[in-house]
Amino acid sequence: MVKSIWISLVLVSGLFAQDAYERNCVGCHQELPATLQEMFKRYLLVYSGETNMKAGIKHYLLYPSKDISAMSDLFIDTYSAKEKTNLDIKELEEAIDIYWDKFKVFNKLK
Amino acid sequence: MMVMLMIVILSAYYYQTQEKLMLSNQRATLFKYAYIHTKRLKVLHHFFDERTEYPRDPRFKSAIYDIEYMKIFSLLDDEKMHFDEEIYLLENHIHFVKTLDEYYLGTKYIIIEVEDDGVWRDDIWKHIIGYGLFSFFLFILFGLYLSKLFLKPMRDSIVLLDRFIKDTTHELNTPLSAILANIEMMDTDVMVEKNRKKLNRINIAAKTVSTLYKDLTYITLEEETANENEHIDVKALILDRTEYFDILVKSKKLEYQLELNDAMIFIDRRKFTRVIDNLLSNAVKYNKRGGTIGIILEQGILTIWDTGIGIKESKIPFMFDRFIRFNKSEGGFGVGLSIVKKIIDEYGMQIEVESKEGEGTKMVLKW
Repeated sequence: MVKSIWISLVLVSGLFAQDAYERNCVGCHQELPATLQEMFKRYLLVYSGETNMKAGIKHYLLYPSKDISAMSDLFIDTYSAKEKTNLDIKELEEAIDIYWDKFKVFNKLK
Repeated sequence: MMVMLMIVILSAYYYQTQEKLMLSNQRATLFKYAYIHTKRLKVLHHFFDERTEYPRDPRFKSAIYDIEYMKIFSLLDDEKMHFDEEIYLLENHIHFVKTLDEYYLGTKYIIIEVEDDGVWRDDIWKHIIGYGLFSFFLFILFGLYLSKLFLKPMRDSIVLLDRFIKDTTHELNTPLSAILANIEMMDTDVMVEKNRKKLNRINIAAKTVSTLYKDLTYITLEEETANENEHIDVKALILDRTEYFDILVKSKKLEYQLELNDAMIFIDRRKFTRVIDNLLSNAVKYNKRGGTIGIILEQGILTIWDTGIGIKESKIPFMFDRFIRFNKSEGGFGVGLSIVKKIIDEYGMQIEVESKEGEGTKMVLKW
């Protein structure tokens, strides 16, 4: 009994230890063949700068559409555009900020 | 001044044009480098972040910036970028800015930099100095030619007048000497009053011509002869000259008012005589009938004043110019005061003129 309480406590604390990005994005994207890193590079190709790109991702997640997706036609045809997000704006922005910080090119080139 | 300004403006224009020409010559090469770099960025983008080594090339340095002008990576020393210019020169480096349509690694702007060897600049400076000097001298010559062309008629008329005076003065000397000598020799005591008056008039006329003659010969001949400076007793000289003009003075019913103290001056006698003669003859010539001529002599100062017609204050600065006469009713060539000015300038003396129209003129000579 004590053991099971201890395990569930660890699980719950683990869940709360995750950030907005890990909570809301990583899970679903793991099932897709294109990694989040690859998608980030797709966005980079189209949007270039930080503000521009964050605004682009936010807009797409709020109003997803095949026409404005950064992904290839083949990918969209196969997996279709995602559904509209149900996260609140604050959570969404937080997740996008973490996403940017994780994959941004700045200070990574040598 | 104008010429210099014009050459500077032209040079600046030439410099700018040559700089543009040089940049446009470099443009093709830099465009090729930018193209190569774009291809390399594309590859790097594909393999990012397994590969993170920024592509380098020995031929050029480069930098990449995103759409918000944030530096993604740079190999350049300088951080100042002109994103709105395609090609520009900054601190001896030529920069080429290429914008991408597909933002590999987020790159919107690629900046390619190569060193400028400066050879073109040396060539430009050589050209500017060479052609600048050439055109400067050309302009100077042209200016001189133009000014000569404009001044020619004026110079011609002065030369003509000078030559005329020179020629006539030579011919005047002999008859004038004969007249004056014969008048002196005439025995006036045996003459009837009527004839004596006539002889007086002839004497006055001859002396006037003689003064004029001396002025003219001074200008044309004696001006160039060497000075024979000596100490002169000014008082004695003035007395001598007043006596010489006495007959003219009397004919105009003028009166002398003399206050003569002893004074000496070191000067060429002929020249100083010309100065006094001219000042005196002007005082006589422009005086009213029955007027007064005053001469005050102190050491270093000689004042000659008259009660004549005077001249306007505005004309005083021009009265020493050659061939200037303010009163056409009196005879003369207008050379007298120009001679005076020349002589007093030569000896570093000063002359002051005070005059009131209708009341008289006062000339103060200081040495």
